[in-house]
Amino acid sequence: MKRLVESSGVEVAFREVDVVTTGTFGAMCSSGAIINLGHADPPIKIDKAWINDVPICHPGAAVDLYIGATAMSERQPFEYGGGHVIEALVCGKEVELRATAYGTDCYPRTQIKTNLTKDDLNQFYLLNFRNCYQRYNCAVNSRDETIYTYMGKLLPRLKNATYSGAGELNPLMNDPDYETIGIGTRIFLGGAQGYVIGEGTQHEPQNLNGTIMVRGDAKKMNPEFLRGATFTRYGTTLYVGLGIPIPILNEGLAKKTAIRDEEIFTNVVDYGVPRRNRPKLAKVSYKELKSGAITVGDKRIRVSSLSSLKTARKIAATLKAWIEQGEFFLTAPVERLPVDTVFKPMRQTEEVSFVSNVMQKAVTCSETESVQAVAERIVTRSVNHIVMVDDSGKLTGIVTSWDITRALAQGKTALADIVTRRVITAKLDEPLETASKRMAQHKISALPVIDNEKKVLGIVTAEDVSKLLGR
Amino acid sequence: MVRILLRFSEDIVEQPITSQIILELKVPINIITAHVNSKGGEVLAEVPDESLDKVVKAFRKRGAKVSIPKLIEVDAEKCVSCGACVTLCPVEAITIDEDASVVFNKEKCIGSTCSACVDACPSRAIKSVKQNNSELVANNAH
Repeated sequence: MKRLVESSGVEVAFREVDVVTTGTFGAMCSSGAIINLGHADPPIKIDKAWINDVPICHPGAAVDLYIGATAMSERQPFEYGGGHVIEALVCGKEVELRATAYGTDCYPRTQIKTNLTKDDLNQFYLLNFRNCYQRYNCAVNSRDETIYTYMGKLLPRLKNATYSGAGELNPLMNDPDYETIGIGTRIFLGGAQGYVIGEGTQHEPQNLNGTIMVRGDAKKMNPEFLRGATFTRYGTTLYVGLGIPIPILNEGLAKKTAIRDEEIFTNVVDYGVPRRNRPKLAKVSYKELKSGAITVGDKRIRVSSLSSLKTARKIAATLKAWIEQGEFFLTAPVERLPVDTVFKPMRQTEEVSFVSNVMQKAVTCSETESVQAVAERIVTRSVNHIVMVDDSGKLTGIVTSWDITRALAQGKTALADIVTRRVITAKLDEPLETASKRMAQHKISALPVIDNEKKVLGIVTAEDVSKLLGR
Repeated sequence: MVRILLRFSEDIVEQPITSQIILELKVPINIITAHVNSKGGEVLAEVPDESLDKVVKAFRKRGAKVSIPKLIEVDAEKCVSCGACVTLCPVEAITIDEDASVVFNKEKCIGSTCSACVDACPSRAIKSVKQNNSELVANNAH
């Protein structure tokens, strides 16, 4: 379609093309499967359950369970989770169910342990409450350390970037006004046929961040399009393969489905800032993202995809073959996806503290000063930490009262010999909890607060943190 | 160029064996990674294809152990070609080809001394092969 519209125009494309197939294959954490086990004898009304040591949600009644993709194994957390359990079941493997209950007159049993395959389940439905993000952020990390996020491993100081999504192949991007997508739309889901059952949670159409809620018979699915996965230090998830056929009902849809990667933009977002509103550093197109490198300011950053374009293409091609062979029939939605919902932030009734709330003015020194002078300052200003700065106020080191004591014991008089150069720092808008954790992790009692240019803004001490948190 | 892995025992680690061989054979040996202390050393080096035989002989004569290293294993069944590993590779040994498949260039890979891609793989399809005891090092990022 994209090439045809470019070469022959929208009118011709509209006459010639009946359906455009799309596809995406990415990590979709808001996924899971609902299963019904059937009743045991004597019967049990399950209270808590585990499959292969992964805690399974018990949403109601007796033997219905929901396997959440991000639930993690108690024995191998971060390595094995709900996504892997779903994949194992789809593969036909046997899994181990353990469950406990409080016991009632009608459901007397208090525990059960059994092995199951998908054939033993009455229902095994993939039931994903938010899939198929229309587009997603491109992630970078401005911190001095590598961070592990749901956007993968992000190297320090913007040394790499990651992104997710199929761009011009994304289902919702090809029908951005949701003319053909809504409740009842038949789709490709995990290698089988499934349905859209409504808008996904956090659906935000006006910001081109539409999502869908989907359901499909997991017993018929194929592990090639449904994979358990692990993001180091974030947790487990499920890669979901999803494709939607877009019937070309009008010229407008011919034009919309001709969308190209260069027309789809997303923000480069700094995941190094652990806040809801992370700083947006640049705007990039999916064309740039797929080229393998993006430019932020004057910096060229290599970029990795987290979703598989190869599998996305395979999904679109498979869906096309199904339609051509008469194995898949398109449906008209009973109700279209909403186009006006907004995604509100959480209402918080308790105050949260940030570094800026407890930061104090830092007492500073320069490299040329003597140990004696710094020792005097520690006493007169009654502090334990002196921050070393250069002429422009940029951080160059830190001296503690302990360093001074040691200098005295060892007879050292030059500040250069006792100063700590590798300083662990904090940012002004950082949550106090993460700053406090960093102090504990490095067994230190203060963090100089710096801006992006390393200019010292103040200092936050463990003492101030405990005063505030202990209130 | 061919990658060779050299291992020097405690007894010979103090000797300038690599330098001697470079001078003696007049062969450019390119050291990629080196981990050496008083207990021994492990050096990953590159030598020109045509000089491989004589270089290997020269190292063995001086008591070093020489092997052609296998640095990384990728489970093609597990790999979904997402590409999460690509930018973590410092030597650009991982690339994406025309059909969007992720391709590992094992010639370029520097192996277990790096392993930056291993814990970035959501499918846990990459294993780096530890050279010391030739054991597979599974992902142990925690």
